[in-house]
Amino acid sequence: MSRGMNLSINGQSQVPPGFRFHPTEEELLHYYLRKKVACEKIDLDVIREVDLNKLEPWDIQEMCRIGSTPQTDWYFFSHKDRKYPTGTRMNRATTAGFWKATGRDKIIRSGSRRIGLRKTLVFYKGRAPHGQKSDWIMHEYRLDDGAASNNEIIGVCPAGDAMSEEGWVVCRVFKKKNYVKTLDSPQSPSGSLAEARLHSLSGGNSAILNQILSYMGRTCESKSDLLDKLNVVVSDGANLNKLSYQTKDNLSSRFTHLPRLGSSLGPNDHSNIKPSCYQYQPFDDVFLRADESPAFQVNQHGMIRDWATLDRLVASQLNGQAEVSLQKQQSYFVDDPSMSTSLPPHDDEKVPFPSQKRLTRPESHHDRDHDHQQNLHMYGCDNDFWGITTSTSPSSLSDGPLRYLSA
Amino acid sequence: MGDGVANLPPGFQFYPTDEELIVHFLHRKALLLPCHPDIIPDLGLYLYEPWELQGKAWCGGSKWYFYSRRTVDRVTRSGYWEPVCQEEPVFTSSSRKQVGFKQCYAFHYGESPHGIRTSWTIHEYRLSGGNSSTGRSSRRKGQKIIDPSTWVLCRVFDCDDEHGGDSSGGVELSCLDEVFLSLDDDEVSFPS
Repeated sequence: MSRGMNLSINGQSQVPPGFRFHPTEEELLHYYLRKKVACEKIDLDVIREVDLNKLEPWDIQEMCRIGSTPQTDWYFFSHKDRKYPTGTRMNRATTAGFWKATGRDKIIRSGSRRIGLRKTLVFYKGRAPHGQKSDWIMHEYRLDDGAASNNEIIGVCPAGDAMSEEGWVVCRVFKKKNYVKTLDSPQSPSGSLAEARLHSLSGGNSAILNQILSYMGRTCESKSDLLDKLNVVVSDGANLNKLSYQTKDNLSSRFTHLPRLGSSLGPNDHSNIKPSCYQYQPFDDVFLRADESPAFQVNQHGMIRDWATLDRLVASQLNGQAEVSLQKQQSYFVDDPSMSTSLPPHDDEKVPFPSQKRLTRPESHHDRDHDHQQNLHMYGCDNDFWGITTSTSPSSLSDGPLRYLSA
Repeated sequence: MGDGVANLPPGFQFYPTDEELIVHFLHRKALLLPCHPDIIPDLGLYLYEPWELQGKAWCGGSKWYFYSRRTVDRVTRSGYWEPVCQEEPVFTSSSRKQVGFKQCYAFHYGESPHGIRTSWTIHEYRLSGGNSSTGRSSRRKGQKIIDPSTWVLCRVFDCDDEHGGDSSGGVELSCLDEVFLSLDDDEVSFPS
């Protein structure tokens, strides 16, 4: 089409430098689209008609060029009714891909009056549903002032066209800003704020998970010394949980016997405990001792020396037991979502003793065998005691402590 | 109004690229050549509050443009401008030649460094080249000669307006668009 040359004389652009066609939404709707729908002549054909099925986004650039100044967005009219005679879904497929609507239509207002709606679409290369998202974005504007019929406002097209004039939309196509490639685009982003926002949002769910995992990894590195020395041996389902671990000072393995499921858990109750080779460390003893010592160092037995160890203990208990029946002084430490993503601080001496709260139990109830297997698996990975990376189901994130952090 | 500006149909507005601001406007101003269109005012050394610019600076697309020779001590009566990121180079799109620099500042109420950040943002453009460094040193010596390299071109806007308003589609997406685009319509994808 030769209409593109209207703005230049002898190749010289009539548009002064710094100026470009960049209409407000109100101008797009109220001036251009209204005139188009009413078949009124628009003074300078800066916006052309385009058949969206036949043009790829990158072809639209050529087709919709205005003058010779560099552009970052391109405008055109498109007609909706041409796509499907029936139904409401639009066919926006091209040879190379398709346009997919995303999000809700946004209401466009002029002052306080509603004048239209804007739909956002993204171009995917390939075929649905396996398309590859591209950086091409389209805003599709249509007139809609909420009235029952737009005909009275728009008027009847004198040409008597069979095509409904209400099917016209005006579109803006642009390439999403990829902040990595600032050299390619004429206008630079407005600072690191927008950059950070774009990066964090464009990553989506996976970015958040990566952040969580990397944070956990970082905090674990600082405790790698201790964690390396913790070896956990979990017995089979018939037996009690045993923990054997080594302390920094004492490399000989010690065992602690945790009370059997369902057994009464008085400190003197040894009836269910296998004797001899194990050094019995009643579970409640651990807590009582911790109670007495705010610094939480069980120095006498050298058993549990910091929060990480206790966390493991607790986690193993949680996963190993379908029911937790303990007396009140044996309430677990809090299953606090904030704590689950931050391992105990490095310097244990400074950690105040956390208030004891009732734990939320794991939502799934496994039998003990399965749980012991899980424990084995759990303690195989250093920082995975909440069982996140071992789980393959997406719902693992929606259960458990990290559910508060999902996107 | 500048030449030719009034004749443009609706939808045309002053919406320059970084390159245009530096090449067509700042460069000519620094060489004391007339600018076409001569629409951007020179506010000299005086630093206005961002909200005072209406009527004093050239407005295009809810942004205010002006020249300034105030390049140090960006303090006003109510606050101060603080840089938000590193200075970025500006290149021509055709030859990839560097023509200048762009620096972003955010306006803070109060006194540095304890001010409260606002959404007022300034993009300050300056020319590149050897004389820019000598320009700074000559200012420090208190010389009265106006060194061309001391000119900067500023664009001031309220970045809340920018995202809440309409014309977000051109180069930057509004926050809401970003949220929508990061979600799929029919399925929500979990990390695998």
